Amino acid sequence: MIDKSNNVRSSFETELAAAGSESDLEALRVKYLSRGGLIAQLFDEMKSVPSFEKPAIGKLLNAIKTDAQRAFDEKKAALSSGGSREGGVADLTLPGRPRHKGTKHLLTQTIDEIKGIFTRMGFSVVTGPEVETDYYNFGALNFPPDHPARDMQDTFFISKNVLLRTHTSPVQIRTMEKQKPPVREIMPGRVYRNEAVSARSLVAFHQIEGLYVDEGVTFSDLKGTLVAFARQFYGNDVKFKFRPTFFPFTEPSADMYIACFLCKGQGCRMCKQAGWLEILGSGMVHPHVLQNVGYDTERYTGFAFGMGIERTASLRYGIDDLRLFYENDVRFLQQF
Amino acid sequence: MKISHNWLKEYIDVRLKPAQVADRLSMLGLEVAGFHDLAAQYDKFVVGSVLEVARHPKADRLTLCKVDIGTDRLDIVCGAPNVSAGQKVVVALVGATIPRNQHDPDGKPFVLERATIRGVQSNGMICSAYELNLGEDADGILVLAASAQSGKPFAKHLGVADVIYDMEVTANRGDWLSHIGVAREVQILTGNKARLPKIQIKESKARASRFATIKIVDRDKCLRYSSRILRNVKVGPSPKWMQDRLQAVGVRPISNIVDVTNYVLMETGQPLHAFDYDTLADHTIIVKCGNEGETFTTLDGKERTLRADTLMICDGKRPVAIAGVMGGANTEISDTTTNVLLESANFAPSNIRRTSKYLGLSTDASQRFERGVDVEMTMYAVNRAAQLLQEVAGAQVLAGAIDVYPKKPKPLIVFARVARVNAVLGTSLSKKEIVNHLKSINLEPVSSSKEGIAFRIPTYRYDLTEEIDLIEEVARVYGYDNIETKTRTTVDFSKPLKIWTKEDALRQYLIGSGFHEVLTYSLQDRSHASIGGGIPVDVLNPVSAEATTLRTSLVPGALSVVQHNRSHGQPDLRLFEIGNVFSRREGGSSEDLTGYDEEGRILMLITGNYLPQQFGTEHRRADLLDLRGEVEAVLAKFCLDKYRFISYDSASALIESALAVEINGSYAGFLGKISKSTAQRFDIEDAVFVCELKLTALERGWVSEKKLTPLPRFPSVRRDLAFVVDSNTEQESVARTIREAGGTLLSELVLFDVFVGDQVGAGKKSLAYSLELQPLDKTLMDREIDAEIARIVARVESACHAKLRAL
Repeated sequence: MIDKSNNVRSSFETELAAAGSESDLEALRVKYLSRGGLIAQLFDEMKSVPSFEKPAIGKLLNAIKTDAQRAFDEKKAALSSGGSREGGVADLTLPGRPRHKGTKHLLTQTIDEIKGIFTRMGFSVVTGPEVETDYYNFGALNFPPDHPARDMQDTFFISKNVLLRTHTSPVQIRTMEKQKPPVREIMPGRVYRNEAVSARSLVAFHQIEGLYVDEGVTFSDLKGTLVAFARQFYGNDVKFKFRPTFFPFTEPSADMYIACFLCKGQGCRMCKQAGWLEILGSGMVHPHVLQNVGYDTERYTGFAFGMGIERTASLRYGIDDLRLFYENDVRFLQQF
Repeated sequence: MKISHNWLKEYIDVRLKPAQVADRLSMLGLEVAGFHDLAAQYDKFVVGSVLEVARHPKADRLTLCKVDIGTDRLDIVCGAPNVSAGQKVVVALVGATIPRNQHDPDGKPFVLERATIRGVQSNGMICSAYELNLGEDADGILVLAASAQSGKPFAKHLGVADVIYDMEVTANRGDWLSHIGVAREVQILTGNKARLPKIQIKESKARASRFATIKIVDRDKCLRYSSRILRNVKVGPSPKWMQDRLQAVGVRPISNIVDVTNYVLMETGQPLHAFDYDTLADHTIIVKCGNEGETFTTLDGKERTLRADTLMICDGKRPVAIAGVMGGANTEISDTTTNVLLESANFAPSNIRRTSKYLGLSTDASQRFERGVDVEMTMYAVNRAAQLLQEVAGAQVLAGAIDVYPKKPKPLIVFARVARVNAVLGTSLSKKEIVNHLKSINLEPVSSSKEGIAFRIPTYRYDLTEEIDLIEEVARVYGYDNIETKTRTTVDFSKPLKIWTKEDALRQYLIGSGFHEVLTYSLQDRSHASIGGGIPVDVLNPVSAEATTLRTSLVPGALSVVQHNRSHGQPDLRLFEIGNVFSRREGGSSEDLTGYDEEGRILMLITGNYLPQQFGTEHRRADLLDLRGEVEAVLAKFCLDKYRFISYDSASALIESALAVEINGSYAGFLGKISKSTAQRFDIEDAVFVCELKLTALERGWVSEKKLTPLPRFPSVRRDLAFVVDSNTEQESVARTIREAGGTLLSELVLFDVFVGDQVGAGKKSLAYSLELQPLDKTLMDREIDAEIARIVARVESACHAKLRAL
């Protein structure tokens, strides 16, 4: 029975290959594929097959039937269209059929890469609202009312007490309010600054913030963690330095610089001849901030850091006009 | 803040090069953004002595000069009529950049080269005042005093050998806004002590207190008011050295009196104000708040409206200055001023800042007061000004100062625990090291215990009030570089790590489906931002008309992207964005977050050709069903079968032929074609299809825990059925009927053909389905299949007025 079935298959294939006209094909169809055709006859003969053989033979016959029908359809289509579009001879230099290629936005790629480095160090990802209250954006972060520190970040106000967050730092407060130490989180998101739009500044951009609060966290750990990040992100041989600065919500505060990766510290257009690039701001969480969320400041210390995603990506990929990120020209998107 | 290197040296011995000063101060947190050498423009200019003058053999108007420049004697051809032997002159050497070319109409600079002038070589140039940028006289050379020293660099001779630093002062360090303040920071670099000059004043017999009365009414806003009175002042220009210093740090010289107050401000950080004594009614000063709505004209001629909390300096009758911000026009120093009352006061930072913000007026004085000025500096500053006015304006200084100081604050003592310092910094500093570091910035240890040290805080350090502030100072002086870089990578597994979100999963899936992720501005112009419906949220202080309002939908941003790409030759687009939209929440308060809805959305968009241009495939435009297919793929992937589409008629201004998307029985968003009118606003002629869904709805329907459904062990059967139905019958109702009739046996239903034409009759259409029957417990016999199919056909025929069509 198996042999017979295979003979029917091979004779069908030979005759199909030889068929050169519509009438040849019709004859072939009647011979093999019609109700009384050779393949249907094989199915009829199934009745006499011993039952233990039935599953195997049934499977074989089904395969013969569907293969034959498909091959027949293809041949018929090829004949009726007056030949195959690809030509009788396979031209292997033909291009593959293109499809739309999706891309992840460069800013998301940058966020994901930074997220990836910190999550491997044990940080979790949290987010918070873009429309914020004065308390979360400033007050809880130790910006005194009527203090010039508030001028460090030009603010869009929605009402007297509601504003568009100027940094991702309010998420620090929201996170600590919800959980007890240890807190080890990174917080990506959009922030807003009331500045004129230009190639170098936008009214909205992305930041990623980090926070680590636990017993025994020191400035030394801050340096270690951020250097580990810089080595992963900018290369293992990166040169770095930390410089004192001022943020109301951290003390001591430090800006982190790396040697310009374009000129290796010699001074060039990218680093404005300084040889160094500022990559992030950081510091030990100010005890007032910890107090504001009800943490025991004697028991817990911590550090926080933040960096601008647009700036990070523009330095790394040589993008000198930040507006390109928001134009979403597909010719830009496809490059990354 | 501009700081002069020479000026700095009056207060501290600095032997470091400017580049070192700049670098090390920056490493202490006093950022030097840059510095420039004032003398640089006179690089290669020296004082020369003209030894001989001879006539040029070929030109009557030129002379040949032999000039001694100390190290050499140069032959120079000169065209000036006034050159003669024995003069001291300014010689530009070969390679010097001449600041102004007097033969160029614009006076552009040029580089001097060795030249042969009518056959005679000239090895330099004798300069005019015009060429040196020191005056407009271009007719002859500048002749220096006979005492000028040959060979001396001209910059040194002029006394402009100075370097100006451009400092970026952080908001916490008001004390850095003065030369003495920066000099105190330089102490850390050099180990030397910074000191203010000693003051000597020759006082008149008459006592100042007999000539004026000073009273502070608002004592919480004015902490101290110190004053001196000067008589017979001769108003005129200040001496050159003072003008040079002020100009070097960016202050315009005005008159000797004003210049002295500015000089002392730049020196000490203490703002001073000089009143014309004779214009002060009753010779009285009263410090009190203004009247709400009252107007006052400041020195700059502008009329300002006061508030009830605007602190004013008043005389016996009227306001004469806005305290700590700007003086008034009514009492300002004029050419005819002869008697002066000097104000050297201290005002509370927060009130000055409120006033300055409210008036939109930021001055040298207000910038310092809002950061905090040393309350102990007022007397030194007013005495220093009196001394300088005596020197430069011949003033008679009345005896004694008037110093109203209602409540001298107690010295602030802050305790620093050694263990805590090391616990925060990760260091192991000894008590002695901590004391030494803090002493270097004038913090005096007043007592010491086993635990730590108490320090007296200098009155100018407003930023040091508690232990953590001292810890920062220790770190700064010790050096951040000297603190160990310790990499501790122990991961805390006590809580699950949240790493990738549902948004990340959606993003990844859509990228794989050939969509570009876009990110668009969330602040837009009001007409775009309000497209999505709901009450838009405006910002109170927009920076431009293009960014006034938060978006209520992701659609307008995406349409702008389509517009941009179409105009750059990219009309075939598949885009998505994940982002937040905003609206006012009715009933909530505008002063907290109850008044605002902030909602995550996902937007998908398709426009242009369905496939990229290619061979061998039929070209067609993308349509609504292409987008629907993509949306169904996403929903089926993450929400399985917990969604449905509902068509609704009410086409909005934004969308026509719309479908609502429901997930888990609640509204999740819409899918449709952008209306013509909306597309026109973005100059888009092509059809654009969009779907915008709420992320919360997707997340609610999210199936995150999946269990295996066993794979079928029995063969499935596929049958095709075509039904002819009325053309207004919805496909969905036919499909639903088949599903209901098929029950659990029907494992898959695919619509594979929709046909309208003569063969099916007018007002009719044919819907062809492929059905897969999957038995779970046995192999179906032919007759069982036939019976099942017949049952389904019968149900459809009766429920949908359908007729089975022979295939």
